[in-house]
Amino acid sequence: MNSKLKKMIFNLFKRRETGLESLPAFWKTYHTSFEQAYDRKTPIEDIRFVCFDTETTGLDPQKDQILSLGAIAVQNWEIKVSERLEFMVHQEYQPVGQAIEVHGILPKKREESLSEREAVEHFLAFIRQSVLIGHHVGFDINMINIALSGILKKKLKLKNASVDTINLAKRLLPPTHHLSSGELSLDQLAQKYQLPMQDRHTAAGDAYMTAILFLKMLDKLEKRGNKTLSDLLRK
Amino acid sequence: MQNTIPKRIFDFLKDLPPFTLLGKERLMDISEQVVVQYKKRGETIFRQGDEPEAYFYIVHEGAVHLLNQREGEGDVLVDECDEGDLFGIRPLLAEEPYALTAVAKEECLLYAIPTANFPQIMEENPKVALYLASTFAVEARPKALPVHKNYSLSGEIGNQEAESLVEVQSIERSKQPITCSAETSIKEAALIMSEKEVGSIIIVDGKQQPIGIVTDKDFRMKVVTGRFALEESIRQIMSSPVITARSDLSMADVQIKMIRHKINHLCLTENGEDNSAVIGVISEHDLMVMQGNNPAILIREMKRSTEVREMKRIRIRAEELLEKYLDQEVSISYITNIMSEINDALIVRAIELSMKELETKGKTKPQVDFCWMALGSEGRREQLLRTDQDSALVFSDVPSSDYEAVKAYFLDLASQVTDKLNECGFDYCPADMMASNPQWCLSLQEWKAQFSKWIHSPTPKAVLHSTIFFDFRPVFGNFSLAESLTEHIFSDLDQQSLFMTYLAKNAVGKPPPLTFFRNFVVEKSGEHKDEFDIKARAMMPLTDAARVLILHARQGKINNTFRRFEELADLDPNNKELFEQAADAYEILMRYRALQGLKNKDTGRYLKPSDLSKMERLNLRNSFKPIGELQTLIATRFQVMYVR
Repeated sequence: MNSKLKKMIFNLFKRRETGLESLPAFWKTYHTSFEQAYDRKTPIEDIRFVCFDTETTGLDPQKDQILSLGAIAVQNWEIKVSERLEFMVHQEYQPVGQAIEVHGILPKKREESLSEREAVEHFLAFIRQSVLIGHHVGFDINMINIALSGILKKKLKLKNASVDTINLAKRLLPPTHHLSSGELSLDQLAQKYQLPMQDRHTAAGDAYMTAILFLKMLDKLEKRGNKTLSDLLRK
Repeated sequence: MQNTIPKRIFDFLKDLPPFTLLGKERLMDISEQVVVQYKKRGETIFRQGDEPEAYFYIVHEGAVHLLNQREGEGDVLVDECDEGDLFGIRPLLAEEPYALTAVAKEECLLYAIPTANFPQIMEENPKVALYLASTFAVEARPKALPVHKNYSLSGEIGNQEAESLVEVQSIERSKQPITCSAETSIKEAALIMSEKEVGSIIIVDGKQQPIGIVTDKDFRMKVVTGRFALEESIRQIMSSPVITARSDLSMADVQIKMIRHKINHLCLTENGEDNSAVIGVISEHDLMVMQGNNPAILIREMKRSTEVREMKRIRIRAEELLEKYLDQEVSISYITNIMSEINDALIVRAIELSMKELETKGKTKPQVDFCWMALGSEGRREQLLRTDQDSALVFSDVPSSDYEAVKAYFLDLASQVTDKLNECGFDYCPADMMASNPQWCLSLQEWKAQFSKWIHSPTPKAVLHSTIFFDFRPVFGNFSLAESLTEHIFSDLDQQSLFMTYLAKNAVGKPPPLTFFRNFVVEKSGEHKDEFDIKARAMMPLTDAARVLILHARQGKINNTFRRFEELADLDPNNKELFEQAADAYEILMRYRALQGLKNKDTGRYLKPSDLSKMERLNLRNSFKPIGELQTLIATRFQVMYVR
């Protein structure tokens, strides 16, 4: 390798280092936790999963904002109730859209809620390098990513591996199954897997329900020979 | 942070005993600490002999089997725990390995609740301790005390005082404390213990004050292992100081003291401190035995009682037991069994004592067989509270020349007996349906004629009488007299089916106690205005329905209303569900009435709907549901619309 190229790589590396230096402590802590990132061969029971859900003002991550966030850890077939996050998030601007009515969260509840920045900080400290689980998890990750970029004034993304419970549900259907509309909604899956139906439309409630659903599906997947993280990440 | 998730746990726990006994904040704290565990089908949760875990469990979803795995005997299923059931509570009450193995019978969601806070919770709330102790007794000794799970009417009824440990005195009498001096050798002490068959020995000083205790465990841990030689003094291996208590502690207090100090034996002294003389020892095992044996002790004492005052006192203790059982939500079928055994023992004793008394007055019993029959609720084995007495007496047929003298004797006897029962707190029957009434103290022949008359000319009065007399049950004397009466009734019924129609009409005469708007039907006037008559409006329609159906099925030996429904469910699979609901409903009503009666110190018959919590109202309302359906069934089956 010639010295010019070496230098270029070094500079690149150095620039990235300085990049991290200039970022807030919460991001650094989060970033560092990935030194213990899960190997793809990690057995399922050794992985810390975090099931989470956000409620938002709408379905467009570019326009809409997070109203509340719920997350709960799942590890070794256990959900510890104490190991969870649930809070509302308030915005700098008045949220727009119909979601407010559906979720019943009004901006006036501001005193009981966290700012977007606090919410994201708490969330990152909670999830660390865990594998994220969610129903339509891509959407929720996207919401967090956009919030994160806004806070850090830099385009940064969550580094976690993630598993969508919708994908797991599909994998558990017979190959010839014809999907009917709404069949993979959390409500219908909850019914199918006999989950207790309780007040929906709270982020924490949905995160908890997703966690139980995930455990039930995990049992079935494991019986089909899925044993490691990479088995789980398969599409 | 918000608490949506713990609130879900809370909502599940709040209706289940013993959590019903906890305050809202306390339960919320517990909910915050719950670990929700997923168990795969067939997975072992804990194994017999394992050291206890830091959790106990509640089944949220699925089913768990508790197995006894004895070597060479295979697995014995001891209990199945379903949704809402508690198991694995051993770590809460004893520092001992699990006595049973728990296996997930299907995929399960369990709530694992940390045991760490429970000693404190039990101390603050002795009822929790008592409840757990009784559940524990079930786990330790299979099927001894079936705990009723589904119908928690509420945990708030009943007083807050701890139940008194009535049996401490009897234990002291039966179990002299075994003591020795500190200089006794280990070997000698062991010999004393094995000779007296005790598990512990108290080491005392010259004033009989306790200075140490040695239990079986000390021998296992310290002597058998070779750490101490047999010749050394017992002082070397004793635990000191001794945990002591006064003898008037409540059962819950003893339990808690043992848990707090992690001991299995509590030394009772004169003043409760270790500077006074030893008067007894109570072990964890004693506690268990006491809890299980209470009724047995009462029945035994009843059988030995020599005067009415004593009988009354025992019956009052039985009522305390009843209160405790209701409080712990022990199943009604178990409770009714126990209470009717005690009532029967009381009646039998009253008869025996009366016969003796008559004899001392020179009135010897004629050489004629007789049978004392309980009628009404006691006949049905449903008399939990001391309501009024209903009885009848049947004696063998005698030559007419002897009749007057024989009848006079039995009437005399019956008056003595009913007087004694009255003294014990069972009121005389206001309608005088008692064996002391010449009309209801008859020879077998006369009784047969009487029943035939009712059956063949079913006037309203005859039907009313038959609703009371058809629940007769022999309690004392020659039971075959009662059996031949049953046979006679059945053969008469075969000839006269119209009677059943009248009986059926009577059974559908009281509509379900809900108005159109799903409110309780309350009394419109009189002393109990605006109160709900649980006996007449809800229980009697079920009792009447069960009676007519079971008579129709010619099943004479089953008297208990909910057992009748259970039997009907077996006999008539098409209506199985309805009969099972009716049996459940009747149990709920019995439980409710007994609680109400104990609370108000009355028969529990009338209650104010406004005093009930929402949950209680809902529970009661649900128990009315089968009434309407049963009445429709009976009306159709017996064609009651054709009689007037």
